[in-house]
Amino acid sequence: MDTLFIAFIGSFLASLGFGVLFNIQDKKKLFFAGLNGGIGGFVYELCLALRLTDIEANFFAALVFTLMAEILARKMKTPVTSFIVCALIPLVPGGTMYDMMIEIITSDPYEALALFLRTLTIAGVLALSILIIETLTALFYSCLRKGKDYAKNHKRTIR
Amino acid sequence: MNTEQLLNVVMKLGTMLMESGAEVYRVEETMNKICLSFSEVESVQSYGTLTGLMLSITVDGKTVTHIGRVHERSTNVDVIDKINQLSRTCCRQHLTVPEIESELNRIRKTKRYSMGITTLFGAIGAFGFAMFFHGNIQEMIATFFIGIVIRCMGWALGKSHIGDFLTNLLCAMAAAWLSVVIHHYVAEANINIMVISSIMLLVPGLAITNAIRDTVATDYISGLARGAEAFLCATAITIGAGVILYIWR
Repeated sequence: MDTLFIAFIGSFLASLGFGVLFNIQDKKKLFFAGLNGGIGGFVYELCLALRLTDIEANFFAALVFTLMAEILARKMKTPVTSFIVCALIPLVPGGTMYDMMIEIITSDPYEALALFLRTLTIAGVLALSILIIETLTALFYSCLRKGKDYAKNHKRTIR
Repeated sequence: MNTEQLLNVVMKLGTMLMESGAEVYRVEETMNKICLSFSEVESVQSYGTLTGLMLSITVDGKTVTHIGRVHERSTNVDVIDKINQLSRTCCRQHLTVPEIESELNRIRKTKRYSMGITTLFGAIGAFGFAMFFHGNIQEMIATFFIGIVIRCMGWALGKSHIGDFLTNLLCAMAAAWLSVVIHHYVAEANINIMVISSIMLLVPGLAITNAIRDTVATDYISGLARGAEAFLCATAITIGAGVILYIWR
């Protein structure tokens, strides 16, 4: 429980810091961008606590924060990017990249190559889950709009 | 309506969006929408890449084209947000060209966060990373100060126009060197956690995300260009931190 809370606070602060660096001026949006990052970090740590692998944890965390970002962006009428970018930052595989560099320095090229592939996999998994949610929400909202149009036209013909 | 004036203003808007780190499809869509909000415009074609924009509009059967080069790239979510709102109002209320231009100038003049605040929040971000990577309290405090140094260095090097690659390289070197020094005096502080948490400040987050989003939106050229940008940045960070750790480890 403790590690989950620490992960939440840590990634909240990291995302908040990046929100300021990316110049989000509105205080409310800034807070929610940080909160979204915090939730991403929390889900990541929760998945690890549930004995999922690192890659699966990244996948689920990105699913959750992208969904949150889509909802928040529509509520606040702002581009989705601002929420996704801030929340993604704590999950970027910087640690794996660092380990790779250390392996190169200690001249173990095979281990370095394995870690390089791991870095690419994590980045790909994050991209994949962002893509899945974006496609699904776009589909959902276009269906919703079509449904509304249909209902409107239908009403008119009845009258 | 003056066609040339409209073209200039919309090109200025597109350039501002691209410089603030918006996705290509957003830039193209916004330029198209604003042009089409004028009833005189018969058709509009826009083509955007990471490094330049092209826009041509047809009025009374005559086509006029404008090309704009995009040199700088930074991240400014606020500008993207405000131009997004401008294009909404433009479509709803049919603003005139001078109105759009004055609004654009107002957006351009809005201040960014000051140097002090960005440095503080950059350091808080680094502190958060140290927390997220399970650091102890000494590491968190050390990372906070390394974060301040990196932000100040990044700001100073950015002023001197030596390019992103060298800026990232020198900042990563500073982060690694400071971590080694702090580890020498405070043995509890782990070098790995301090270096990882502080170089996360330099990681090209927006470039990575937008590379993916542009590629998925079938803007392959910009996707690749942004991917190259992110890769170059990551390479600079790795070399910078690697050299220092190779010498002092």
